[in-house]
Amino acid sequence: MSKLGIFDLSVRYGKVPAINDLSLQVEEGERVFISGPNGAGKSSLLNAISGAVPTSHGRIELDGDMLTGRAPEAIARLGLSMVPEGREIFGSLTVEENLRVGTGLRRDAEAVDSDMEDVFEAFPILRERRSAAAGALSGGQQQMLAIGRALMTNPKLMMVDEPSLGLAPKIVDQVYETLCQLQEERSLTLIIVEQSSLRAARVGGRMILMRGGSVVGEGNAADMVDRDALAQAYFGNPKCKEVNS
Amino acid sequence: MTNFAQLFFDAASLGGLYAMAALGIALIFGVMNLVNFAHGEYIAFCVFALIVPSTDAVAVMFLGRAPAVLLVPLILVIGGMIAVASEYAVFRHLRNADPVAMMISSFALGFVIRNVLLATYGGRPKAISLWPELNTPVQIAGASVPLLQVIVILTTLLVVAALAFLLKKTRLGLEMRAAAENFTMARLLGVRANVVITGAFALSGALAAAVALIMATQTGVADVRMGGQIMLVAFIATVIGGLGSLPGAVAAGFLIGGVSVLLQAFLPLEARPFRDAFLYTLVIACLLLRPQGLFVPASAKPRV
Ligand SMILES: Nc1ncnc2c1ncn2[C@@H]1O[C@H](COP(=O)(O)OP(=O)(O)OP(=O)(O)O)[C@@H](O)[C@H]1O
Ligand SMILES: [Mg+2]
Repeated sequence: MSKLGIFDLSVRYGKVPAINDLSLQVEEGERVFISGPNGAGKSSLLNAISGAVPTSHGRIELDGDMLTGRAPEAIARLGLSMVPEGREIFGSLTVEENLRVGTGLRRDAEAVDSDMEDVFEAFPILRERRSAAAGALSGGQQQMLAIGRALMTNPKLMMVDEPSLGLAPKIVDQVYETLCQLQEERSLTLIIVEQSSLRAARVGGRMILMRGGSVVGEGNAADMVDRDALAQAYFGNPKCKEVNS
Repeated sequence: MTNFAQLFFDAASLGGLYAMAALGIALIFGVMNLVNFAHGEYIAFCVFALIVPSTDAVAVMFLGRAPAVLLVPLILVIGGMIAVASEYAVFRHLRNADPVAMMISSFALGFVIRNVLLATYGGRPKAISLWPELNTPVQIAGASVPLLQVIVILTTLLVVAALAFLLKKTRLGLEMRAAAENFTMARLLGVRANVVITGAFALSGALAAAVALIMATQTGVADVRMGGQIMLVAFIATVIGGLGSLPGAVAAGFLIGGVSVLLQAFLPLEARPFRDAFLYTLVIACLLLRPQGLFVPASAKPRV
C-alpha cells in the first residue's frame, strides 16, 4: 500500500476545473517534486490533499485511510502537514507561538520541546527572533518559520508549496538542505512543488510534471532536466522565477 | 473636584459596560467574521432568567433569589449556554456562507429569542430588584458614588485582564488568535474549528450575562428591549474600535461611555435631549476620518 494514493481526483472552483481525473501514488519515505506552469493545478492538488479545498470527484487515501470529505484538522491529525503557497504565517503571533499552534494535535506532548529545539537548530534565526512578531520577519525567515511550523505537528507526510518562491538562491539551498536532512532524520515523506527542474534534479527525487490539471510526465528528476528543453517549448522557461529572485 | 470625580466614575462605569458588550461582539467577529446581532437578546435572555416565567405585571424573583456566589456563576453559564446553543442551532450550518447571510440570520435569531421572551414574560417592562443595596452611595475621592459603579469598573478590569490572560497564555487562546488571523491555516495545523468557535461563543455569552447582571441591578427593570439598545452602542464601539480588534473594542467602549457622560454633563440644558444625536454625529465623523477603526493601524488585519 502506498503512503499516499490519489485516484481519479477532480477539483473545481465553481465551474472552473483545476484538477481533472488525476491519479498518483507516493511511497513511504519518497521525495516527490511537482512541477508545471502557472495554473497547472499544483497548489490545487496540495490543497485538495490537505482538505483546504473540497474535491468534486475521486478519492485520496493516506495509509489506506480515506481523506476525502474529512475536515483539514482531522487530516492533520492523521500525520499530514503542509507549507502552503505564500507561507500563510500568523503575522500577529510571535515566532514561537506560530510554532506552537500545530502542537495541539500531538499526543507526545513531552517531545514538543525537543522538536522546537530541532527547528531552532535547523533555523537559528528563528531562535534569535522567537519572541518577535512573525509578521516582522523577512520573506526567507517566514519561509523557514512556515517549514518549522509544519514540522512541529510531527507529520509523516509533509507537503511544501514552492519553497523557493521569492527567495535568494543561497537561502533556497539552505532550505532544501534542511528539508532533506529532516526528511532523513524523521523518515518523512516529502511532496514539494518546485518550478525549477534544475533545482529538483540537484536535490534528487521523483518528478511529476503537471499541466492543465493532469499529470503529463513523470520520472527521475535528474532525467527530467534533459527533457526540460522540450518542456520549455510548451511551458516557457520554468527557471524564470528563480532567475528573477 | 468633586464634580470631576463624579464624572469619572459615571464615565468609567458606563464605558465599562459598553466595553464588555463590545468585547462579546468583537470576539465572535474575530473568529468567524460574524456580526452577531442576537448578542443583545442574549443579554435580555439572561435578565429574564432572573425572574419566574409569567406574563404577570409583577416580577417574582426566581434565579435572582439565589445568593450572589451562586447566582453570578449560574447566570454566566446560562449566558454561555444560550450563545453556544445558538451557534449549534444556527451559525454552525452557515460556516461557509456569505458574511451577510450570517449577519441576517443573527437578526432572525434575535427576533426569535425576543419573541420567545415576549410570549413568556409579556411585553411590559417589569420592575425587579437585584441586589438593591449595591445602589447605596459610598464616598470616594470626595464624590458620592453608588457602590455598583465601583463594582462595574472593577469587574470590567477583571474581565479584560482575564480575557487577556486567556488569549495570551492558554492553548485555547493561542488557537483563537491563530484562527482569527487565518482560519484555514489554523485548521491545517490541526486546530479544531468547532472548539475555537464554541469557545468564542461561550465567552461571548458569558460577557452578555455579565452585562445583564449589571444592567438589571442598575436599572431595576427587566425589559425585552434593553438588549437592543446596548447592542447598538456595543456594535458601534466594535466598528469604531476596528472590527475584530479586542483592545479596540474595549477602548472604544470606554470612549463612547466617556463622551456620552461628558455630553450629558456639559451640553446646554435645552440640547441634552438630543445627546444621542450629538454622540452619533461624532461616531459618523470618526468613521469618515478612520473607516478602519480608531485603534487599528491603517495596514493591520483584524486580530483578536
Ligand atoms: N480560489 C480559486 N478560485 C477560482 N479559481 C482558482 C482558485 N485557485 C486556483 N484557481 C484556478 O485553478 C487553476 C489551478 O490553479 P493552481 O493555483 O492550483 O495552479 P498552480 O499550478 O499552483 O499555479 P502557480 O504555479 O501559479 O502557483 C487555475 O486555472 C486557477 O485560475
Ligand atoms: Mg501554486
